[in-house]
Amino acid sequence: MTPTGHAAKAATGTQTVAQATSAGHVAPVIGEDWLSVWIGLFIFVLSLGVLAGLDLLGWGITTNVWTSLDKALAPVSKAYAALPGVGSLVLTYAFLLVVMSCGALALRIPIARFAGGFTFVFWASYVCWIVGSWAYIAATSDKLKAFGIPWSLNLTAEAGFLVALVAGLLVGNLFPGAIDATRDAIRPEWYIKTAIVILGGFLGVTAAERLGLATAVMFRGLCAIIEAYLIYWAIVYFVARRYFGLSREWAAPLASGISICGVSAAIATASAIRARPIVPIVISSLVVVFSCVELLILPFLAQGFLYDEPMVAGGWMGLAVKTDGAAVASGAITDALIRAKALAVQGVKYQEGWMVGTTTTVKVFIDIFIGVWAFILAVIWTSVIDRRPGERARAGQIWERFPKFVIGYVVTFLVVLGVGLAAPALVAKAKAAMAEANAFRGIFFVMTFFSIGALSNIRNLWAEGIGKLAAIYVVCLFGFIIWIGLAVSWIFFHGIRPPLATG
Amino acid sequence: MSGQNRIADGGRDADEPLLPVEKRLIGWSLVAGLVLLGALVWLSYTFFPAS
Repeated sequence: MTPTGHAAKAATGTQTVAQATSAGHVAPVIGEDWLSVWIGLFIFVLSLGVLAGLDLLGWGITTNVWTSLDKALAPVSKAYAALPGVGSLVLTYAFLLVVMSCGALALRIPIARFAGGFTFVFWASYVCWIVGSWAYIAATSDKLKAFGIPWSLNLTAEAGFLVALVAGLLVGNLFPGAIDATRDAIRPEWYIKTAIVILGGFLGVTAAERLGLATAVMFRGLCAIIEAYLIYWAIVYFVARRYFGLSREWAAPLASGISICGVSAAIATASAIRARPIVPIVISSLVVVFSCVELLILPFLAQGFLYDEPMVAGGWMGLAVKTDGAAVASGAITDALIRAKALAVQGVKYQEGWMVGTTTTVKVFIDIFIGVWAFILAVIWTSVIDRRPGERARAGQIWERFPKFVIGYVVTFLVVLGVGLAAPALVAKAKAAMAEANAFRGIFFVMTFFSIGALSNIRNLWAEGIGKLAAIYVVCLFGFIIWIGLAVSWIFFHGIRPPLATG
Repeated sequence: MSGQNRIADGGRDADEPLLPVEKRLIGWSLVAGLVLLGALVWLSYTFFPAS
């Protein structure tokens, strides 16, 4: 079962731990992590057709900011301008249904159940995106006159992500039956990892234009490893053990969940210290719920007082928001909100993607060391704390726990960066190609938001008696993690600003 | 489910005082973290300045 699956079961309380651990599912052909890599690469490779004059994904849907619904939808490429927006949306749905259903087959998910669930997630998410793109919600200040409206919330089209999150929360908490029926397709980790693989290419073309800045940002991203593993983890573990009296079995996975990367870190740590299955399940659920809270608060906080330091805001999201999905999503919203505010207040138009690129860099650096940290904990636990005869931690566990989607992200990033550096004349075409891939990335994003919300059944979690764990989470997250993250991000990223957008 | 009681109780079966190895893990992590952060700040601004 995937981490998301674990979290889902606990969040809804529909399955006992015993059932969850002994369900006897047939082993999947491929893990969700590798599947994200292959699906992301498949879309990425198709988009590269533009470099050879083949527009293979130009029919993909994009959502424009709108005042009239018939203007909301359009194909991403002008080459397909004759295709109606609704036709483009249906084509996109059909394409993704086929691709993701192939993935579901590989994961051994019953195909009919997955297809039904995916249909629900796709359309619910996309309707949210369309709603969020309404000009009164999304239009930036420089576009008010063009839309002929006197005001807007200035939230940009990424407001659709927040609408999707709220819609997911409402459905998950008010209609849990609907979530149970579609659970096979409510997989935020799968969607966001696929999106991150595609995002690598988009950031690669951005970096190709400003290599020096991109290198500096990437090197500074290393700070995240130190902060998450050596500072956050130690403090959270100490607070949980010393002041809340948690056992080691709960404290170590909780520290990893709060400090490192939510779900996967909690599961890796629990496995490393041989905690009972209930431990990572409950903690993962808690992480997902708190990610929603952070997602709804931090980007707006960043917009409020960090619009003059955009890269600090981007780094902050990566350091403070847990789970890959929520962190990168927060980065995307922060990117949009700060660009909108900088334009409105300072008249400065920053290039898109640098803030979410910083968030993603920070998050990816954090992710890649989960296996190493789990190995270190396994060594300490098996050799000192919980010593059992004949047991030793294996170095191979580092690779087993390595988040494989990072490989996809690095590959797409380097391929596009390489193309841009080797043949600068191709940068314009590479940009067009990545714009097409990016349309699909946006869809995976919005489905991630909806899924995160849908999995967060707050009432059932509370009923399971996790108030104390939640208290520790609140104390640590809002007591120091957010603020240390802000301070470290400030130290490393202050004074760095994205390039200005042209046109 | 026994797990629920344990969660509500903070996951505590019996008192588990901090062992010396846990204290060392916490202490060394923090010291190493602060030292490495300092080193990384210096490296970043010296070798990878962002203008």
